Amino acid sequence: MPLLQVDDLTTYFHTRNGTVRAVEGVSFHVHRGETLGIVGESGSGKSVTCYSMLGLIPMPPGRIERGRALFDGKTDLLGCTPKELQRIRGKRISMIFQDPMTSLNPYLKVSTQIMEPLQLHEKVTKKEGLRRAIAALEEVGITEASRRVHFYPHEFSGGMRQRVMIAMAMITQPDLLIADEPTTALDVTVQAQILELIRMRQAANKSAVILITHDLGVVAGMCDRINVMYAGRLVETGTAEDIFERARHPYTIALKRSIPSLGQKGKPLYTIPGLPPDLSKPIPGDAFALRKGIRSGGKYANVAPPLEQVSETHWVRASDCELPSLEEVLNEC
Amino acid sequence: MSAEDFLVLENVKTFFPITKGLILKRKIGEVRAVDGVSLRLRKGEIIGLVGESGCGKTTLSRTIMQLQRATGGRIFLEGRELTALADEAVRKQRINFQMIFQDPYASLNPRMTVSDTLGEAIRTRRRLTGKTLLAAVAELMETVGLSPSLMRKYPHEFSGGQRQRIAIARALAPQPKLILADEPVSALDVSIQSQILNLLTRLAKEMELTMIFISHDLSVVKYISDRIAVMYLGRLVELGPAEAVMADPQHPYTRALISAIPVPDPKVERSRKRIVLEGDPPSPMFLVSDPPRSEAALEEVAPGHFVADPESFLNERKAHAAVVA
Ligand SMILES: Nc1ncnc2c1ncn2[C@@H]1O[C@H](COP(=O)(O)OP(=O)(O)OP(=O)(O)O)[C@@H](O)[C@H]1O
Ligand SMILES: Nc1ncnc2c1ncn2[C@@H]1O[C@H](COP(=O)(O)OP(=O)(O)OP(=O)(O)O)[C@@H](O)[C@H]1O
Ligand SMILES: [Mg+2]
Ligand SMILES: [Mg+2]
Repeated sequence: MPLLQVDDLTTYFHTRNGTVRAVEGVSFHVHRGETLGIVGESGSGKSVTCYSMLGLIPMPPGRIERGRALFDGKTDLLGCTPKELQRIRGKRISMIFQDPMTSLNPYLKVSTQIMEPLQLHEKVTKKEGLRRAIAALEEVGITEASRRVHFYPHEFSGGMRQRVMIAMAMITQPDLLIADEPTTALDVTVQAQILELIRMRQAANKSAVILITHDLGVVAGMCDRINVMYAGRLVETGTAEDIFERARHPYTIALKRSIPSLGQKGKPLYTIPGLPPDLSKPIPGDAFALRKGIRSGGKYANVAPPLEQVSETHWVRASDCELPSLEEVLNEC
Repeated sequence: MSAEDFLVLENVKTFFPITKGLILKRKIGEVRAVDGVSLRLRKGEIIGLVGESGCGKTTLSRTIMQLQRATGGRIFLEGRELTALADEAVRKQRINFQMIFQDPYASLNPRMTVSDTLGEAIRTRRRLTGKTLLAAVAELMETVGLSPSLMRKYPHEFSGGQRQRIAIARALAPQPKLILADEPVSALDVSIQSQILNLLTRLAKEMELTMIFISHDLSVVKYISDRIAVMYLGRLVELGPAEAVMADPQHPYTRALISAIPVPDPKVERSRKRIVLEGDPPSPMFLVSDPPRSEAALEEVAPGHFVADPESFLNERKAHAAVVA
């Protein structure tokens, strides 16, 4: 039985400019000991998917329209009371947020903030809490942690703030760690160290990790399985090899082609032309076909493309879209 | 002044005091965030600045912007000494240089819609109003890959990457001469990242935009920069043409950095070796009683390719680079 089983998750924002269909019928699961990657275009609903499960969607304007997120076979995270959710959040499920500055309180010392989940869930003494806070900071590679723990967030560098968030999320040894772009502000050497720490903890605790990142190199190294999202929907899911070696969906293929390390210096990079669709208009068919510069046969203009099984592990949403060549892309831009 | 000297940094230092005691606030030491950086930028040049988290990249750019006053050294922009200007004069200069911040959410005003934010930025240079202003806002949004239909929204209604594009649009709006871009594409997925990189390279060429581009992603830095500067513990340890630094890194820190770049291939990633720098990464916190560090100095090893003494780095690090599985 998976540690988390999400079915048909659908989250909308009802704003004065219409209904933003941020997440549309997304289903996936993650087992203990497994790392699931979520990749996809900016605005495709990766963060909202995870916020929905943790009760962190601002309501209104947000609303979870339907779906179920069964945690540990018992609790439906979408249906349980705020009290139950609060007991789980920060203790059994932790999240590393994408924006460290908005999730750290600028007026509180870092020590107070790291110790909070411990005091809330484990009722530790102040002294013990401080000791563990310092140890947690050292684990994420912050030097002179015993002095720095008393700093305010603005006294840290961007990457150090991000590591404070990581230390905070891991301090209670959660069963499920959701990491939303956890290493964007870190240089590659510190990034490697943090990813290793996440891996080690995962092996020791048999915990599960959901990793949202746009860095396909990180995904390749960390993830057992990968979900690819586009315009609020799941367009492809499979093992790391399925996605990196046998990708089927044109969006996944375009994403891989845009990686800068493959581009040569001075030559323009491949990009997907056009813009992602406006999510405040209903999209009955293939969302990728709506993109300017993408050719499509029109088969899924008005019918929802089904998720088709390619192999035991690999599923892909049907699409009859064709990618433009690099020359065509550059003419577009 | 020659075009070679568009922006000149001479031994720039920025320290933050560490104090003790609630009332008297006795100074017991300092964080030497930037500790002797010298650099000359040509007009229209893009320099990539990379380095370990906490090594002083953001502080250096804030110091160039004069958002943070330097503790020592001098900074010149087009021959004018910024470090000698009074606050009022600095404000007048600021229209010429823009910063794209690391944390897009914190740098956008949550109470202003996108069109307010961008409109205000455009009006610092061009006196537009009404329809023409809105048209300029729409054009700018399209330039950074945002649909103009999102104009009336507030920052919290956007995803992380969308917000970063608003921040980039805002920086471009006043048509600055110098852009300090602090991790501008780290929050973006690769397809939008490549759009923005293509855009920034194009603008740099067309508008002769000079740019310091901070990123931890070396493949991005290599792609966009003419030269790469590698920073470590408040100082530059390597500086040279982008290709030379990437293909033939001289400093042990640069080598470790390059070896740690993740490769988008699961087979390669699972079986690769990295150079892991062992020992304690030194801290930029110094006590009043600590002796001063040796002078920051770079040696030219090939034309235009400069390196700091690796011995002192290794000593400071108290360890050697070791290859581990
Ligand atoms: N509070 C809100 N009100 C209205 N729309 C919202 C709100 N929060 C998110 N959205 C919209 O929901 C969609 C999905 O956002 P989400 O933050 O999940 O994207 P993401 O995939 O995490 O992108 P990124 O990679 O840029 O972080 C976006 O189109 C966004 O504009
Ligand atoms: N206002 C401040 N007060 C005290 N120390 C500070 C302050 N701002 C920065 N520092 C310290 O200065 C050092 C350099 O910080 P800076 O933000 O410049 O690093 P950075 O290279 O941008 O790192 P990152 O890649 O993590 O963003 C860090 O040790 C940081 O803790
Ligand atoms: Mg997000
Ligand atoms: Mg920084």
